Amino acid sequence: MSTVTFTIDGRELTVPKGTTVLQAAIQNGIKIPYYCYHPGLGVDGNCRVCLVKVEKMPKLQVSCSVVAGDGMIVHTSTPEVLAARAGVFEFLLINHPLDCPVCDKGGECPLQDFSYAFGPKDSRMEFERRTFDGDGVKADVDFGPTLMLNRNRCIMCTRCARFMREIDGDPQIGVINRGYHSEIGTSRDEGVHSLLSGNLMDVCPVGAITTRDYRFKSRPWDNPNAVDTVCTLCEKGCNTTLWIKAKQEWAKGAQLIRTTPRLNPEVNGYWMCDLGRFGYHWVEGDQRLSQPLINQQPRPWTDALALAGEKLRSAGRDGLRFLVSAHASHEEMFLLGRIAQELLGDAAPQAISVSWTSSAKDQPADTKFRIPEVNAPNVAGARALGLVGAEAAPDLSALKALVESGRLKAVFVLDPGPAGNLGDLSWLAAARQSGTLTFLAVQGVVATDLSRAADVVLPGSAWPEKHAAFTNMTGQCQTTNTAIVPPGEARDDWQILSDLAIAMQVPLGYESLRQVRDAIVATVPDSPAFARLAELEYLKPQKASTWLESSNASERVKWDAMFLDLPPFKFERMFEAAPRANVIPLKPVP
Amino acid sequence: MRLPEPVLTTHVNEPFSYTLENYLKWGGYAAMKKALAMTPGQIIDEVKASGLRGRGGAGFPTGMKWSFVPKDIPKPKYLCVNADESEPGTFKDHVLMERNPHLLFEGCVIACRSIGAKTAYIYIRGEFYHVQKQMEAELQKAYAAGYLGRNICGTGEDCDIHIHRGAGAYEAGEESALLESLEGKRAQPRLRPPFPAVVGLYGSPTIINNVETICNVPPIIERGAAWFQGIGPEKNQGPKLFCVSGHVKRPGVFETSMDVTLRELIYDFCGGIRDGHELKAIIPGGSSTNVLTPASLDAQASFDGLVKAGSMLGSAAMMVMDETTDMVWLAENLTHFYKHESCGKCTPCREGSDWMHKILQKILRGEGAMKDLDLLLSIANNIGGKTLCPFGDAEIAPVVSTLQHFRAEYEHYIREGRSLVPRADWMPRTLVPAHAH
Repeated sequence: MSTVTFTIDGRELTVPKGTTVLQAAIQNGIKIPYYCYHPGLGVDGNCRVCLVKVEKMPKLQVSCSVVAGDGMIVHTSTPEVLAARAGVFEFLLINHPLDCPVCDKGGECPLQDFSYAFGPKDSRMEFERRTFDGDGVKADVDFGPTLMLNRNRCIMCTRCARFMREIDGDPQIGVINRGYHSEIGTSRDEGVHSLLSGNLMDVCPVGAITTRDYRFKSRPWDNPNAVDTVCTLCEKGCNTTLWIKAKQEWAKGAQLIRTTPRLNPEVNGYWMCDLGRFGYHWVEGDQRLSQPLINQQPRPWTDALALAGEKLRSAGRDGLRFLVSAHASHEEMFLLGRIAQELLGDAAPQAISVSWTSSAKDQPADTKFRIPEVNAPNVAGARALGLVGAEAAPDLSALKALVESGRLKAVFVLDPGPAGNLGDLSWLAAARQSGTLTFLAVQGVVATDLSRAADVVLPGSAWPEKHAAFTNMTGQCQTTNTAIVPPGEARDDWQILSDLAIAMQVPLGYESLRQVRDAIVATVPDSPAFARLAELEYLKPQKASTWLESSNASERVKWDAMFLDLPPFKFERMFEAAPRANVIPLKPVP
Repeated sequence: MRLPEPVLTTHVNEPFSYTLENYLKWGGYAAMKKALAMTPGQIIDEVKASGLRGRGGAGFPTGMKWSFVPKDIPKPKYLCVNADESEPGTFKDHVLMERNPHLLFEGCVIACRSIGAKTAYIYIRGEFYHVQKQMEAELQKAYAAGYLGRNICGTGEDCDIHIHRGAGAYEAGEESALLESLEGKRAQPRLRPPFPAVVGLYGSPTIINNVETICNVPPIIERGAAWFQGIGPEKNQGPKLFCVSGHVKRPGVFETSMDVTLRELIYDFCGGIRDGHELKAIIPGGSSTNVLTPASLDAQASFDGLVKAGSMLGSAAMMVMDETTDMVWLAENLTHFYKHESCGKCTPCREGSDWMHKILQKILRGEGAMKDLDLLLSIANNIGGKTLCPFGDAEIAPVVSTLQHFRAEYEHYIREGRSLVPRADWMPRTLVPAHAH
């Protein structure tokens, strides 16, 4: 690729041809503010805060639209640039409500941060501020089923309108009215109806668009930890960040507070869908399985494992079948396969069925972010492990016929996914309830009709509670990372399977997840699905110091480079002991 | 040399001057036939040699603009005629389109041939409803007579002209906003580069010219670049329409060459200031150019002459004001216009126009403070040159130039709470109008 070399503030930079001055500055940690520019959207040039001085050009230029050229000399902090920029910031704030103390964006707001860094000290505005729907709470209006809109806070960067036009493919958002009265709107105020609507809160540089899911729930400084992970609710495998709210142990309520997308150009770009973004509540929901159950009664792990192990082992070569959800990770599928092999030998491949569901997602025909139909993260992994063929949809008819024939003694179900992810299994529950099937063990995470029919229930972990590797639809091997601990006595699924193997007297001998992953690579050495498995890192929740860095890569650099005086320092300071007050002795009253 | 007789408006005062029959009688479409026998390069060279500069306001050399169109890309090329004529005080294109539309059509065909376009769009101001209707009828006649459409005059050249009515926005007169509007979108300017000559209408190379610019093309082809070069001062050649309005005895559209001075325009062409009054201020080129005082009367009314005088020729819409004019009110009035017409796309213009207007209203109410004057200048400085399109520079012109020349009037408002100028009979009853928006 050809490159150009040019200078910003005396620093010589070499960037690929076609890079804009703003992009080059962001990549190199040079401080230029911006609002309407977003790396995932086209350039619009309307906010005017990224003004820079380019030598040999008479006027100041907006750096988002100036393509770097060889020998170009750019200045970002001449008095002229600083004054012009401060002028634009003053304009941006003269009608902004400045309700930061009650705004959801407060603390992670580019308007706040850039205004502090680049804006003028004071505003000279003395007139009443513009309002659209009213002041205060009245200004918050519905913006579709997932969002709320506060027009007063809007700075008209049109990122939302451009996201809908360029990425979603259905330009539902437009600007209505003109000039000073311009406002963001939708046709007949119907709001945004899109499976990508949550991204609008991410792209909004102010608190104008908020998601109903997150608004009023937390403030940035209440979420001091975040973990980079991947979403497992479909086979796309979007890279995400889970935000963890700081909470006393005794306090009620969830710890997982929101999901935001994380840049991965090969998988999801800057975006994720609403199904993944808002589909985390069940993880800390009241339907979670938190104790081992025998006949629906809580029992110690040892009893449950011993009973399940004994029953499954004694079911014999023709009497035992396994049903695995495609929500199971590589490690879980591999361990289950090993168990089946140890117990059943060469009959093992026929004894394991994998199941998942598919559903068509209602999206515009020319969307740039297509949500796949398969609602499971690891169909590709199951294929690579040989548990399922190339068929597009799971076929449980043979298993169903076998169960209903009464010839089976035991079925073991491994299902770490949300309720309903295996499809309709009422026939299996019915077979156990009628006695056609004599033993049913379920290793799962949520209470379902199936778990309620099971003889033994082994509570496992949902994806935010474990390190688990998956291969997505394009063959990317990725891992989730532990954000929170599983509820109650629930355990990591690979450990349950290892202990179950011991209870079946076929110990597998893996002592760590790393050993399991190495074994997978050794067993299926050339599969591209596992090519990166041995390299995957185990990430832990990160402290406030890497805080917003983990949200959006477009903002990540910003937090690295630009606000050294703001987070993480302002938050770390918050957790320090308060300085002791000077004790002023009371003067005796004369 | 001073223009001896009108060229663009020769017959405009004769009845039915707009008809094809009369146009042909007076030698119309001869330049087109001549141009169709020339190569596109020859036409461009001729226009370049003539020194014709765009009549819309910026004064960019037309031939050079045409030569920016890439020759070797497979996309269609378009010609757009900017007939939005929305600059306050401007009414020259109106005259041409109403009374000499075939000159415009003829110019379109020649311009299309020179840039390789087969289609021209005339984006006409929405309010010019009757003009558009009449133009459509004449357009059909030209089609029927074979001067437009397929195989023009048997030369094998094709050219279609479409007349598109705007929906009423000042900003639609900005060339890239005009393209957006023509494409059916909001009339908001585009980021440049790429320039329309490379990526314009529907992503194709597009040339946008003012009506008067295009109307100058047939005479250039017919009489030659040398003739055009001989008219008016150097670099400001050719016939030029001036629309003079305001407190003059005989306002109207005048065609002359650009060696004319403001004094000649006001006192010779327009018969001077109305009786019993004296000249106070001149806006020489439409509301977005700086106000001048009588001290500039001897300035040449040309692109370069008015820049030298501290203003711009713009659309040559000269607004003349006598001593009864309240300059603070003038600034408030024009700023209200700009606030109302700001498209709202970029920050400084959207927020700054309203802020300036509020301060001016405050001063007119007699509630202003001296620091407001510096604030106005500072806001204007923060708008000027920082906006996406030239609108920002336009909207500060009335404020900055009245403050420059008539600061005493502002200070009088602030000190005394009322105007320095006695209330004139034509001024509104309330100084702070209850605007609809």
